Amino acid sequence: MAAEVIRNAPSSVESFTLLAFEERLRSHLESRLQIRTRFADLGSTRAFLVSPADRERPKGLVIDARTGAAERIYLYVHTAAHIALGHNMPLITIVEGDDETASDGLRHDQADGLARAMWWRRGSPEMVASLPTVQRSRLLRPLLERGATRSVLHLALRGMRAVFYGSGLARIAGNGTVTTWLRQALAATAVVDAAPQLAER
Amino acid sequence: MRIRDTERVSHAIQVLKGARSLDGLVDRIYDITEGSLALDRATLHRIARGHTQVARAIDTPEDCIRLYFALMIVGCEEGLPAASVVEEGHAVLTGFVGEPLAGLIFRDLSGTLPKLRDRAALKEYLEEGVRVWLPK
Repeated sequence: MAAEVIRNAPSSVESFTLLAFEERLRSHLESRLQIRTRFADLGSTRAFLVSPADRERPKGLVIDARTGAAERIYLYVHTAAHIALGHNMPLITIVEGDDETASDGLRHDQADGLARAMWWRRGSPEMVASLPTVQRSRLLRPLLERGATRSVLHLALRGMRAVFYGSGLARIAGNGTVTTWLRQALAATAVVDAAPQLAER
Repeated sequence: MRIRDTERVSHAIQVLKGARSLDGLVDRIYDITEGSLALDRATLHRIARGHTQVARAIDTPEDCIRLYFALMIVGCEEGLPAASVVEEGHAVLTGFVGEPLAGLIFRDLSGTLPKLRDRAALKEYLEEGVRVWLPK
């Protein structure tokens, strides 16, 4: 994998918002890019994409079962970027792992550059529709670009969520603008926390 | 398909099948390839024993590649070291399609393998390989 990905500890509790984003992105990959995703124990490998000789046939994306939803979202955007860059050649398996060769490194860096642009809503309309709408926020991006402000933001958002839900405000507000923004901002922050290269320039 | 170096292919199949019987191997290959290989039991027995150069049931490079992936999956299931699985798989593929094409196909695995360090990950790669090479 390109730059760095921070592995989340396996968790039995995932945010519903993150899981919903993940599901939408996975459906997008399947319907638009013909990528079938499955999960398996891959040890130190995070994911790999096998491309068939016939470009009309589905590609197979296998993701390590221990990845969290935020990391999977990053992997989907990164994979979509590889495909947009034409890296998915038949008989060339794209492996997302910790070690990479020089040529791999270049391809992953290119894919990360494009993934970053797609993440900030410059991808295909379908991809953009799958991502949290809060990413249009001009406030969020600069805060997520640096590790320190990202951590503080994550903590603050989690605190706000705890207060919001703990106080019963969320029940009163229902699915209002504040609740939706908070949920989506937390989800977007969690993804960038897992894959800081999505925000850092 | 005309097999080159029948002895080497026979040896590779014997290694990859591990403790399985030849019938057990054929059954497992049918399972893995979802019955897409038109390989009959008698022909596989003859190939595995090095008694024939002609594998008429395996007509296309795609058939050979599916057989190559399937045999290597069996090797993984039999608990062979990843290096042996890869070496014997390469020998099978070379025996069937010749070195130029085998080298081309094998290049992906040899490029991918350093990152798929353990046998479980290698097996997942091979299973995905079979899936994408299954007929439509």
